[in-house]
Amino acid sequence: MPTTKRFFDPHIHMSSRTTICYQEMAEAGIRAVIEPAFWLGQPRTNVGSFIDYFSSLIGFERFRASQFGIQHFCTIGLNSKEANDEGLAKEVIEILPRFALKEGVVAIGEIGYDEITSAEEKAYIAQLEFAVEHDMVVMVHSPHRDKHNGILRSMDVAAEVGLDMEKLIVDHNNEETFRAVLDRGCWAGFTIYPHTKMDSVRMVDIVEANGPDRIIVNSSADWGISDHLSVPKTAGLMERRGIDAAWIEKTCWSNAMEAYGQSGEIDVDSLNRDQVVDQTQMFGDTTILRGQTPRVDEGAGVV
Amino acid sequence: MSTKVILRSFLESQAAMIKDGGLDWLDAASDEITGCGLEGMEDTRFGVLLSLASRKLGHSAKRSWSLSKSEVDSAGILREGWNPTHWTALEAARVHLILSRMDLELESGAQAIESAFRFADEGELCALYRSLAHLPGGKRFVWRAAEGCRTNMVSVFAADVLDTPYPAEHFDAVAFNQAVIKALFVGVPLHRLWSLDRRLSADLARMALDLADERRSAGREISPDLWLCLGTFSGERGLAALELEIARAPRLSDEEALFGPRAAVLALGRAGATQRLREIIASGDSSLAPEAELALGGEAMQHSWSRFVAPTLC
Repeated sequence: MPTTKRFFDPHIHMSSRTTICYQEMAEAGIRAVIEPAFWLGQPRTNVGSFIDYFSSLIGFERFRASQFGIQHFCTIGLNSKEANDEGLAKEVIEILPRFALKEGVVAIGEIGYDEITSAEEKAYIAQLEFAVEHDMVVMVHSPHRDKHNGILRSMDVAAEVGLDMEKLIVDHNNEETFRAVLDRGCWAGFTIYPHTKMDSVRMVDIVEANGPDRIIVNSSADWGISDHLSVPKTAGLMERRGIDAAWIEKTCWSNAMEAYGQSGEIDVDSLNRDQVVDQTQMFGDTTILRGQTPRVDEGAGVV
Repeated sequence: MSTKVILRSFLESQAAMIKDGGLDWLDAASDEITGCGLEGMEDTRFGVLLSLASRKLGHSAKRSWSLSKSEVDSAGILREGWNPTHWTALEAARVHLILSRMDLELESGAQAIESAFRFADEGELCALYRSLAHLPGGKRFVWRAAEGCRTNMVSVFAADVLDTPYPAEHFDAVAFNQAVIKALFVGVPLHRLWSLDRRLSADLARMALDLADERRSAGREISPDLWLCLGTFSGERGLAALELEIARAPRLSDEEALFGPRAAVLALGRAGATQRLREIIASGDSSLAPEAELALGGEAMQHSWSRFVAPTLC
């Protein structure tokens, strides 16, 4: 682990992780996370499932994170895979305004393309229009297959709808795609996955060769084989490779804050202060503690 | 003076906590809602305005505000049992918006409130629960208020049951007792449950004593608030439990740890054990005797328990 102890993981699906993950993340210095709305590994069958999922992102999961001193933000959107179920997609898009403007929602996302179908494009455009109308940030998931083309098309379409390019974060980049993203004036997210997408070594190579501007490192840790400590581990590798501390800070902390902070929903001052943990805050009878003594930092207060 | 108007005046006095333009936005949003008349604003638009309040009023409006004593008093005069001390400016703004609806007395108005609950985030839930005591036909929301007691979020539970007359006015015995015991479980200050003293019962005392036994068997602390639940219903079992608690005092040095025995002495007073209180006074125990004096003087109402709240739990 690096000596710089302040990280922001702007793409991680905490609902799929355990309290041990939260504990380790807090210990490693992760102070804030963004949990983008995505699919659950299998398709949902009705709009109620989306309503409850979105509710959990702005409710229980945020509360759970706060128990470990981690600020939890989220993005709301209909993901590209499930956009292909057109009847359901229409219903989900109709209820989006009821969630997208909530406190702590920092972007519309993750949206974009999966198979690059017309149904996906329809849902993508409808959500871009909502974002433009409400002056919101957009986070685009780039497809696994035909990635380069998918990224170019998602930026073209976003520009056509009228989205300001500095409000667009394109995620899951690799060596072949990120230059086009930066050239367009967007932010380039990199997902550090143990086996697919990027690994830490390749990530460090990119930062070393291209500098830290508008590059954002994240873990996208979810229910698959993934690492909730990808961001601090990559920062540690950068440090060992002699990369400037300011560059590490940018790619693993402040760029994400700046990009998503355009939403106005991140209280930057409070994030820069030390986090306050109060584990006596419980979710009803299902307390996160199981008999152990709660950790209560000075300054913590209940209700 | 209505709740809606008094909330607006509180917001005026707290303007320093509110983002520039926030109050202008609030007034325009309130007018828009009122302008919908008896037909009522459509659910999505109403929900969007409740959400937007957070963005328009800014981050500081989510922190605790500081009302003057006269402001708090005026709230209690307007609506007995209401204490807005622990509200936030954002919650006040949201309740102001809710009360801007003209259709609240109608069934359609109640449905609109229910829809807002269904799509609410944590902060909105707190505001919606805080609004219940100020809505016409409060009884219509009794299922929803009980749902608030089943929540997982401590903040939401507290907004539902503390500093509001709603539970004492509308909850049946089952719901009320459950709220009391849950408050003990999650550790919110029970003395802020309005009119608890008037809703005490033999059943509640038994539930509290069962909980005390459970905690003792598990080797866990017993909240000083638990002794509030006995009142005149403590019986032999209750008196024995209070004596067990008081007997711990000589082994405790820490001020906070002594809250339990001190609260138990006050509870003796509530139980009418005056002879025992005199013995404690005669013993000259420096931490317990003063409590016994107070209890003998009749100063053992629920508000006396505010002295037993750890600083972090105020």
